[in-house]
Amino acid sequence: MPTQKRRRRTLPQIVRGGRRRARRAVGGVRRVWRRSLQLHVVTSTMVISIVVVAVLGVFLMQSISATILGARDRAARSEAQADRKAVLGYLNKQDGDTSKQSTDPGQGLQPGADSPLGQAVAALAVRAGPAARYSVIVRNENRPGEFYGTTNIDPVSIPPKLREEVLRKSADEDSTQYWNLRYKGRAEPVRGLVIGTRLDTYGTGLDDGYEIYHLIPLEEEEKNLTSVRQMLILVGAALVLLLAAIASLVTRQVVTPVRLARQAAERLAGGHLDERLKVRGEDDLARLAASFNEMATTLALKIHQLEELSHVQRQFVSDVSHELRTPLTTVRMAADLLYDAREDFDPMAARSAELMQNQLNRFESMLADLLEISRYDAGAAELDIEPVDIRDVVLRAVADSEALAERHSTRFDLRLPGDPCMAEMDSRRVERILRNLLFNAIEHGEGRDIVVSVGADRDAVAVAVRDHGVGLKPGEENMVFDRFWRADPSRARTIGGTGLGLAISREDAMLHGGWLQAWGAPGEGSQFRLSLPRAAGAPLRGSPLPLVPPEVEMRRTWRGQMTPVLSPAAADGGRDAD
Amino acid sequence: MPTRTFRARVGVTALVVALVCGLASCSVIPVGMRSIVGENGRKGNPLGDPYARVIAVPPNPDWSAADVVNGFKAAMASVDDPGREVARKYLTDSFARTWNPQSGVTVYRQGEPPTVQIGEKDTRVTLKGTVTALIDQDGRYRPSGGPLNEPFVLVKGQTGWRIDSAPPGLLLSEADAERAYLKVDLYFLDDEEKGLVIDQVRVPIDPASNFAKTTVERLLRGPSSSLKGAVRSAFDGTRLIDVTTEDNRVVVDLTNRVAPELVGPMTAQLAGTLAGLTKGGWGFEVRVRGEPYYTDNPLTVDAQEQTRFDPWMAPGEIYPYYVADDALWLLGKDNTGQPVLGKAGEKDATRTDMAISAHAQVAALFQKGKALSVAPLATGGEWRQWATGKSLAPPCWDRYQTLWTVERPDDHTSRVIRIRDGQRYAVSAPDLDAVHVSLLKVARDGVHVAVVVRDGAGEQVKVGTVIGRGAATRITNLQVVVPVEDKQQIRDIAWKDGKTLYVLTGKSDLLEVSLTGESKSLPSNTGIRNITALEGSLLAGAVDDDKRQILYWTSSKWEPRVKNENGRTDFADQGPAFPAYPLD
Repeated sequence: MPTQKRRRRTLPQIVRGGRRRARRAVGGVRRVWRRSLQLHVVTSTMVISIVVVAVLGVFLMQSISATILGARDRAARSEAQADRKAVLGYLNKQDGDTSKQSTDPGQGLQPGADSPLGQAVAALAVRAGPAARYSVIVRNENRPGEFYGTTNIDPVSIPPKLREEVLRKSADEDSTQYWNLRYKGRAEPVRGLVIGTRLDTYGTGLDDGYEIYHLIPLEEEEKNLTSVRQMLILVGAALVLLLAAIASLVTRQVVTPVRLARQAAERLAGGHLDERLKVRGEDDLARLAASFNEMATTLALKIHQLEELSHVQRQFVSDVSHELRTPLTTVRMAADLLYDAREDFDPMAARSAELMQNQLNRFESMLADLLEISRYDAGAAELDIEPVDIRDVVLRAVADSEALAERHSTRFDLRLPGDPCMAEMDSRRVERILRNLLFNAIEHGEGRDIVVSVGADRDAVAVAVRDHGVGLKPGEENMVFDRFWRADPSRARTIGGTGLGLAISREDAMLHGGWLQAWGAPGEGSQFRLSLPRAAGAPLRGSPLPLVPPEVEMRRTWRGQMTPVLSPAAADGGRDAD
Repeated sequence: MPTRTFRARVGVTALVVALVCGLASCSVIPVGMRSIVGENGRKGNPLGDPYARVIAVPPNPDWSAADVVNGFKAAMASVDDPGREVARKYLTDSFARTWNPQSGVTVYRQGEPPTVQIGEKDTRVTLKGTVTALIDQDGRYRPSGGPLNEPFVLVKGQTGWRIDSAPPGLLLSEADAERAYLKVDLYFLDDEEKGLVIDQVRVPIDPASNFAKTTVERLLRGPSSSLKGAVRSAFDGTRLIDVTTEDNRVVVDLTNRVAPELVGPMTAQLAGTLAGLTKGGWGFEVRVRGEPYYTDNPLTVDAQEQTRFDPWMAPGEIYPYYVADDALWLLGKDNTGQPVLGKAGEKDATRTDMAISAHAQVAALFQKGKALSVAPLATGGEWRQWATGKSLAPPCWDRYQTLWTVERPDDHTSRVIRIRDGQRYAVSAPDLDAVHVSLLKVARDGVHVAVVVRDGAGEQVKVGTVIGRGAATRITNLQVVVPVEDKQQIRDIAWKDGKTLYVLTGKSDLLEVSLTGESKSLPSNTGIRNITALEGSLLAGAVDDDKRQILYWTSSKWEPRVKNENGRTDFADQGPAFPAYPLD
């Protein structure tokens, strides 16, 4: 069947599409749900009120129907009892009159005159009224022909079970049952109550086979109860909606200021320090807004003060550096004179002149560094960009460091690619960075080889300087770039580092839009990596060289956690001994 | 602040008190509000009053023969299934094939307990009693007589006793007949479709339907055999869908519209027929297939439409005439008389048996019943002779301005004559040709006719039907309503309305006889000589020690009616006598 096939083919697609849409919708709903406090409150209010209203409604409905049906039941029972008495009266009277009746033919003209039960039922029919009130069926199985009903009740309306019960129970004992009543001329049955009893004929000489059934249609009650139920459902639904609306309104009153505060906080965080909230009234939310505004004001003030302070400090450093240069020049000239004439001095003085010359050199370079860094702070540093092969820069820096390396009996292991690695940069600054890194490595390399590798890819070039010294403790990777930071404050500077070299290097790298990063592990040594974009101003997305040396990475993956636990102590000791 | 706290506390207390009082007074059922005006139930109940009915049960194998007969009687009396299928289960197969429950109903009055004769093959159960009436297939109820002694023959089968032979048709006790049948007055149209004729029938109650629907259905089936040919119905060619009630109106839903000129008669028929159920408290509406009768507006019918259509259904203030001082007088409103205009108002001892028409004419016999003359009741109204004969019966007008009388050439021959404007027509009445008709009176509906017939045994009253007009007039369906008794004399008869006849016997017994045979005896007065009646009013001309007076029946006793100029009711020997209403 082609249609079935097509359906088979398309049905999973439809299902998948539907599922996708549903998932999207659910996702959207969940997002809205997570973000909206108002929705939370309204939903929980609705759920709770639905439960409460449902419980109350069911309870109310039950008690109303019990009341209504109970009242009808009681009324019907008392009517049934009265009817039984009436029937018994007719039967008794007629019983006594039978002899008279035959002699009095005039009585025969009256309806039902020849059957006492017939008369009784005729009277009952009048008492019962229209079938909508109730109907009566009377029968006596012992006496054929004594089976009467009122108006249009169908005798099948008597439930067989009830009849069995009536016959089983003793006379004058009610049996009741709710049942579908059927009427002649009405197609649909009517729900109703059937009360059946056997007539108590004790002491009258009548036989006790008279069964009387009262059939009470509960159409009216059913209609009333249905309308009550409808009303309850309507009122309950309205109540739930009303509560939800109230909850929504109330939450809105709370949530709106909170939302405004959030927006203000976001704008404040975004740097708009003049963002303020409107304060209305004196309630909690108004006080929250006032506190928020106060906080914002204080924050803005503090930030402003700090900015001022920082500016003043930087200016102070710059000024001090400048001011120190003039006396230093004079001191320098005098010291040069003394130094040049040291041969003529006694050994003590000559040694002092040498010491002064050394420390002056150091002072001068420190001052130069300070001036350099204050230029950065003032934002006055400028790049002199040109395309350069980074390998040349590396070689120059290595050559500059050869002398120092020899003194530390350290060798360089250069790993340069065969192809040129061109990049736009200020070669002087990059050379300075590399020089700094190499000096640093020599100083902390403990005489072991220093590996300098250069890498390049399409977008970036990188230089990594690897030493095998004591390494860095965890967390020191960033602190090394802080100004005047020392790994061990007690240690003296041996190679005249100013403590600003790495800080300036990082500033230089950042000025190029590049990265200067450090890696180190105790006992493993450390590696510094400079990554620069090939084109000036292009954003840097990644580095061609790894920050962590590949051999360390490999060892880590092989040995798991063993090495990092064992090696730090030995490594620390090694560095301390240096 | 103490004052503020105090004020708040007072306010809260006041609120609580007000709330408690409010809740207490706001009880579930408010007391002391203005009285609620509710509409009481209307008169009558077109859908029928509650009734009791017999429910048929199939026979039980354990029952005795007498029990089976009792069960069969109940099954016959049960209206639940018109085909009497349950009753048929009481019969042997062979009898069940021939038994026809539709063939008529015998109503009996049970006397002694039934006798049971046990034979070799069968058992005979005989009901002892008297037959009181027969009900035809078409619902006509005819009083009957005679003993009931036909036996039920029962044979014992595998499933217990079964009836092998029984009296034909249905056999109902009087009580069962009362229970199973509805007494209904069907209203039909007379020959000219200007008047209404009542047909009293019994309609079997259908529990699956309501009384109004059953009644209208019966009306649409046409008249019973007693009126067949004499009346018409406006409903020919339409059928009934349903009868319901709506907004105090009885809604009759038909399948077709009737001819436009028959709408009035049709509504009168409906209103009259249903009046017995509605008791005049309900209006009517006729619809066609659920739609309003006329496309733009509904056809609504007054509760008393039949009286408007036929004024004789409820004649208003109509004054009787009487003879005083050998002249014709009209009894006025204040019960004092005055002589009528014209010759009839003049003193003349030769005329007897005056009859007054509905159109101010009087007919009287002259020359000891040998001539019949008519005079208008107007100034200068002269007697004009309309008929002569050897022995004419007292004349009688009908509503069509024709005059009826009977010529009796001898004691065993009667010829009914109908005269219109002096033109004389012989009426065909085969049942009356060979008897002596001493009195003939046509009812105000123009269709029913009562005759007093004398034969050797005495006089009896029969009621028949007038069919046709002019020369084609016939009187048929004569039924005895007052049977002959030994040497009985009937002094006078008078129609009360279309269904009841007053009969005054020679012994001054007064009977109220209905056409269905039920007669009721009224207290009489030995001085009463003749009677006249119109609806609720019954007058009698009485002689007491040669003092003549007209008595009227107050529903408990007879009172003198006519006053003289002094306001007294005692007259001398030429006092008022022979009262007569028009058309009597």
